[in-house]
Amino acid sequence: MSIQFKTIRELRDMLDTKAISCEELANDTHKLAEDLKELNCFVTMNKDASIEKSKIIDQAEKADSVLSGIPLAQKDLFCTEGLRTTCSSKILSNFIPPYTATAVMKLESAGSITIGKTNMDEFAMGSSNETSYFGNVHNPWKKGYVPGGSSGGSAAAVAAGIVPAATGTDTGGSIRQPAAHCGITGIKPTYGRVSRWGMIAFASSLDQAGPLARSAEDCAILLNEMSGHDSKDTTSLDIESTDLLHTINQPIKGLKIGIVKEFSLGDLDSEVQNRFEDSKKLYESLGAEFVEISLPNISASVPTYYSIAPAECSSNLSRFDGVRFGHRAENTDDLNDLYIKSRSEGFGDEVKRRILIGTYALSAGYYDAYYKKAQQVRRLIKNDFALAFESIDLIMTPTSPGTAFAFGSKGTQNPIELYLEDLFTISSNLAGLPAISIPHGKVNSMPAGLQLIGNFLREDQILNAAHIFQQNSSFHLDKPSMEEF
Amino acid sequence: MVWETVIGIETHVQLSTKTKLFSRASTEFGKSPNTNVNLIDCGLPGVLPSVNKEAFYKAIRFGLAVGAKINQTSIFDRKNYFYADLPKGYQITQMDLPIVLGGTLDIETEEGIKTVNITRAHLEEDAGKSIHDQFDGYSAIDLNRAGTPLLEIVSEPEISSAKEAVAYMKAMHQLVTYLDVSDGNMSQGSLRCDANVSVRKVGDTELGTRTEIKNINSFRFVEKAINFEVKRQIKQLENGETVTQETRLYDSIKDETRPMRSKEFANDYRYFPEPDLVPVTVTEEQVNEIRSAMGEPPSVLRKTLADRWKIPANDAGVLVNQGPELVRYFEDLATRVGEGKVASNWMQQDVLRTLNERGGNITDFPVRPEAVADIIARVQKGDFDTSRGREIFASVVEKGASVAEVVAGMGIAAVDDGDLRALCEELIAENPKIVADVKGGKEQAAGGLIGKAKRKNPNVNPAKVRALAIELIQALP
Amino acid sequence: MDQETVRTICYLARLQIDEDKAQKIESDLETIIEMIGGLQAFDTENIQPLYSPLEKTAFMHEDIENSDNQKEKFLQNAAASNEDYFLVPRVVE
Repeated sequence: MSIQFKTIRELRDMLDTKAISCEELANDTHKLAEDLKELNCFVTMNKDASIEKSKIIDQAEKADSVLSGIPLAQKDLFCTEGLRTTCSSKILSNFIPPYTATAVMKLESAGSITIGKTNMDEFAMGSSNETSYFGNVHNPWKKGYVPGGSSGGSAAAVAAGIVPAATGTDTGGSIRQPAAHCGITGIKPTYGRVSRWGMIAFASSLDQAGPLARSAEDCAILLNEMSGHDSKDTTSLDIESTDLLHTINQPIKGLKIGIVKEFSLGDLDSEVQNRFEDSKKLYESLGAEFVEISLPNISASVPTYYSIAPAECSSNLSRFDGVRFGHRAENTDDLNDLYIKSRSEGFGDEVKRRILIGTYALSAGYYDAYYKKAQQVRRLIKNDFALAFESIDLIMTPTSPGTAFAFGSKGTQNPIELYLEDLFTISSNLAGLPAISIPHGKVNSMPAGLQLIGNFLREDQILNAAHIFQQNSSFHLDKPSMEEF
Repeated sequence: MVWETVIGIETHVQLSTKTKLFSRASTEFGKSPNTNVNLIDCGLPGVLPSVNKEAFYKAIRFGLAVGAKINQTSIFDRKNYFYADLPKGYQITQMDLPIVLGGTLDIETEEGIKTVNITRAHLEEDAGKSIHDQFDGYSAIDLNRAGTPLLEIVSEPEISSAKEAVAYMKAMHQLVTYLDVSDGNMSQGSLRCDANVSVRKVGDTELGTRTEIKNINSFRFVEKAINFEVKRQIKQLENGETVTQETRLYDSIKDETRPMRSKEFANDYRYFPEPDLVPVTVTEEQVNEIRSAMGEPPSVLRKTLADRWKIPANDAGVLVNQGPELVRYFEDLATRVGEGKVASNWMQQDVLRTLNERGGNITDFPVRPEAVADIIARVQKGDFDTSRGREIFASVVEKGASVAEVVAGMGIAAVDDGDLRALCEELIAENPKIVADVKGGKEQAAGGLIGKAKRKNPNVNPAKVRALAIELIQALP
Repeated sequence: MDQETVRTICYLARLQIDEDKAQKIESDLETIIEMIGGLQAFDTENIQPLYSPLEKTAFMHEDIENSDNQKEKFLQNAAASNEDYFLVPRVVE
């Protein structure tokens, strides 16, 4: 019985009815990954350990949790003890962490099996998974097309049906945008909801871990496990955990959804607009009401993000100096030479660009004009959202202004072209708000995503709205033909 | 040309917490390399700092003791630079909103007490250690010290000489050890001094160009380094040269300062608020708790004790310098005895002396205030004299017995009046010359009888012997 | 962006740009800096910077040792080390 494209619930059923054993499931998953290795969505496979664990789970009387024995892929940004963790960078190409990230540990404690570490944009910097040291990831819907980024490998692995779900991280849209480009569901939780311990930092005040899966329901299953206060992360929220599945089926009659005036959707590709209108109609038919809202400072999102994220990353990446771990250059004259050569050899161009921008934005004489200014504008953006949420429950936008494009066709001349991919997703990272992307049809035969942004700590609401949409449509059931692979 | 010296001191105090500022690795000194290092201290990818509450509390204690403002909300910042012993490539410190602002420290100078203003004090993590000369061609990095909590205390440039600088460091040392904020051990690096030194012509209001002498690790070197540097700067200026603003190291072997290897580019530290640490807040309540737990700061306490117990300032100083526990002991004793000076004498001459000989601290000292008070009371009652009392004290310490037991064991018993009279009569009979002297008007000659009386019966009270002997002699025909 | 500034920020970041890529990277930097310069158009008078989306205060831990020292593993991960230390080319102070 094929395991490809199965959801968590479907696999749970198969395991519970003993239609398949955990060990068989793990083996089949590895075979599928091997067959589809042209996608290049994995950097490191965890074969032996995962088979071992599957055997142990098979020996238990019955599954003690819904994730027990379920194979998952982990983005290669999460430290996994004893299993190579590279962030798709040369500088960490031989790094074996001595500890495991909290988010991953929670999923593994819930019984899931880590099949392997997925490919990504180097250090999560990118929107197309074209900056990886290990090569591009293919979009399962079309060979030679990007899956989106930075969690491109995770999105492709789920979209290709290798695993039912995977973890990703989202700093400016890196879960939602690849989910949209690959026709699957992905959610970025409220900042602080999931512990960042063990998640290799790109931009500390923006990074969040979250799940990608075939449905909102499966995302909720993972997010339930991943969430929670972690005393090792002082930026993690100390709040009561709620069961996100509990309210996922609630009817959405009366739900107020805001459309952002300033996003000028009328300027977008006509097919993108059509999909958006169709989704709007579907929601209206389900009882939701649409309201135009204003986020006056939203046009500042991209420049704000590209001041803050590079600044924080320029500092976060200073620890990659070749001294205690990672790539160290040979034949160096002195310590400074060691730093310069190791880092220059170890980092790719996009990473270097962002480190340099960040260094500039923080440097004496520029700090006030760039970094500090950006953090002030950030507050304006956050305030705009807070005001808007007084009259609406969620905000709806397309996830991305476009769909997946061919390798090398964007951003090579002008980096800003790629940055604008994040237009609709970035602001929720700046404000720390939860947001989900769900597939809502095709644009020029490639998947397109619909984004719902929720109020602070209201993952339940966006998951509910997403789930109801999926109960009344079948976009999330679409599968790529995979003929090319 | 008359020159004056202007010095500002930055003191780095290593806090005596058990664990580090942002991780729970031990801060124990002298461990084998790279063992007091956990994931966070190693700066591994994906780790996050977590704040040590005790470090905060110690910093606040310091702030309260110097009369500073405590910033209830304080923010950590990153100071970015590359060095082998700085694992993350940045140091977490406090820039704009430090925990302590202002305050003063009194120092003892030849002209009396001088009050030095403190600009601020903030928390930051220490770096690891590099060893440059142990392995051929390599520098070795030990991260044991990386992450240890430091309190950096910055003084206003109000110190006017090398001697004052030493006095300042000594006062700082005394204060931080008294407050149990640090063990103040300069040789182990718990107390480090950077001196900013400049000179200017007397009468000038503008400050001269200053140099920074880093990491001076003994009081003696503080004085020598500053003296050398002042001379050097004066000589340069008198020769028509200018002083270069730079960082210098003190070489204790050659007794000179020399510039640190100059860097190609000036370091731009690109400070920004630490995004992995949200602001730290301590409540009014918590600050008050800390304040009431710590009692009065030493400078105030010295005066309070002197006034309350009518003892000389010097005595009060000696007692306070021993720490709050010993002060508590003294006050307990003084209360029981009902009088300060006597209690203070016994503290200094007996308790402290014995304590220093035995080692250990006053809380473990086997003789409690009530026992000492007992001995003093008996002396005052006349059971025996002070020097006998000292013997008893020593015995109580040595044997661990009670005062009563020791007294009994020494065969000390009150001499009853009949026996005393009989003894005096014996002495009078045996010492005609002394009798004649006393009769002749030299009463002090009676003192010669006391030693003899003690030899006959060590339990006699010398004063009583003297009084009775004189009385009896006067009564003789 | 002048040459001097580029050299300075490269040094601060300990990065070296290859000759053949230098011009492209410099022009990319200029483009990006111009883009983020657009922030100047926004009025932020009296606005406090938002350094973290959370307006919360830090949890502080107790001063109790919880050592997870893995000295061997740490040293093993390093490109150059002996059984006690991380090693780097000799530094002259």
